[in-house]
Amino acid sequence: MASFDIKDKVAIVGVGHTKFGRSIDRHALDLIAEAMQNALDDCGLRKEDLDGLCSNFGWPASYDVDAMAETLGLNLNWYGQTWTHGRFCASVIQWASFVVHFGLANYVACVIGQGAGPRMVGGAGDIEGRRETGGGHGESPHYGMTSPGAGAALAARRYFHRYGATPEQLAAVPIAFRKHASLNPNAIMRAPITREDYLNSRFVCEPLRLYDYCLVNDGGTCVIVTSADRAKHLKKPPVYIAGMQGIRTGRQEFIFGLPGLGVMQQEEFAYAPKPEQLKIYQTSGLGPKDIGALYTYDAFSFLAWVALERFAFCGPGEAPSFTQGGQIELGGELPMNTNGGLMSEAHMSGWNHQIEIVRQLRGECGERQVKGLEVAMWANAYGDALIYRR
Amino acid sequence: MPEYRKPLPVISALNRPFWEGAKKHELRFQRCNRCSKFWYPHGPVCPYCWSREYEWAKVSGRAKVTSWVVFHQRYFEGFKDEMPYSVAQVELAEGPRFLANLVGVKNEDIYIGMPVEVVFDDVTPEVTLPKFRPA
Repeated sequence: MASFDIKDKVAIVGVGHTKFGRSIDRHALDLIAEAMQNALDDCGLRKEDLDGLCSNFGWPASYDVDAMAETLGLNLNWYGQTWTHGRFCASVIQWASFVVHFGLANYVACVIGQGAGPRMVGGAGDIEGRRETGGGHGESPHYGMTSPGAGAALAARRYFHRYGATPEQLAAVPIAFRKHASLNPNAIMRAPITREDYLNSRFVCEPLRLYDYCLVNDGGTCVIVTSADRAKHLKKPPVYIAGMQGIRTGRQEFIFGLPGLGVMQQEEFAYAPKPEQLKIYQTSGLGPKDIGALYTYDAFSFLAWVALERFAFCGPGEAPSFTQGGQIELGGELPMNTNGGLMSEAHMSGWNHQIEIVRQLRGECGERQVKGLEVAMWANAYGDALIYRR
Repeated sequence: MPEYRKPLPVISALNRPFWEGAKKHELRFQRCNRCSKFWYPHGPVCPYCWSREYEWAKVSGRAKVTSWVVFHQRYFEGFKDEMPYSVAQVELAEGPRFLANLVGVKNEDIYIGMPVEVVFDDVTPEVTLPKFRPA
């Protein structure tokens, strides 16, 4: 394929967040403003420098970007917003990257905030979850089918059936992420969990248990994206974007599954990605062996398995064994979600993972620092990815 | 008849023939007149060949379970008397997969590959929900 013209030409220069908590009695915009100030302080910029703003988390759960700019006194040359879903975290970074690369704006702040107010977790109070088909996780409220977790459960059931994987194997994922969270002072859930804790935890939507689910919490995050040229003159070493790949959808995709799994209208086959389905490696010139730490959208534990197979860290059906024996833990072959992830640090729609990647590549992570880390990757069950390097 | 407390389907221009069929106790899906395939979700064109020539054809109602989940968490007040309840992905003999409740089977007896057939539940005077039972 043609060369990837923006390889290493865009960087993340500033990251910031608020305290994360199960229930913080503050307005989402208040949390966003604090996170933005922290990100500006992190890179030495002022609010007057920001001329772009982007989010994947506005109405109905939070604040829309144009209203945010007016209320916070920002003058923007560009703004963008997806509809409100965590899945668009990397899409927002990709969008912001193109904007700064092509000069529509110089510094784009990517922000989200969840404060007191409506949440999107399924059921009658969830305006998004009440949608039929368009809800995206298989929502059919008249049959009681609601919540993102139910979609993940539907896909996990098929995976368990096809490969003979077990809940005992899946337990390794939340246990690893909790272990990482225990080393992270920002994490909400830090007490270690055992396999017995996992197996004794209640079902939420069977076959998934409580510990297969992410947290639901409040907080704010901000990540500032700029061109590599501008990045060189700021306070901290830039973290460059070395490659990217877009989020996938269509009849052969299901948001929480691999192609070929037979969920919804997917065909049934064992998915082993072809090189052209891994643009992330083609664009970056890097491969799975170069990745020192892997981050993924762990809304549900099963999604870690999906990401590993989708991005060729292991073959079809091998993720259950790949995740055993501490391989995805700090010190293991491929540490994953060293912040504790959505499951144990906080659910900030993947933005807390981007912040962790930046801090890891800067060497700021203390006890949980991955030694000598050069390259880290964000790889999602949905097929989107980013590769970051120092 | 006691008041029906569960959410009802949102009937739209795209799915109205499906729900009108259900009310007559007929399970109907769109079938392409050009490539003969059945499809779901309901849409304006055949997703395989983009033909607009289709009919709402009655299907056999025979299907098999291809995945299922059991809700232990109560999201809708209207389901409180049925906890824990299942939702199954069924694959119709004609091809499309569809999500629905199963009736006449205990949660622990559901399995992938289980043959099922459609039944119709007249939940309100206006709305009939297709469901599936062991065949």
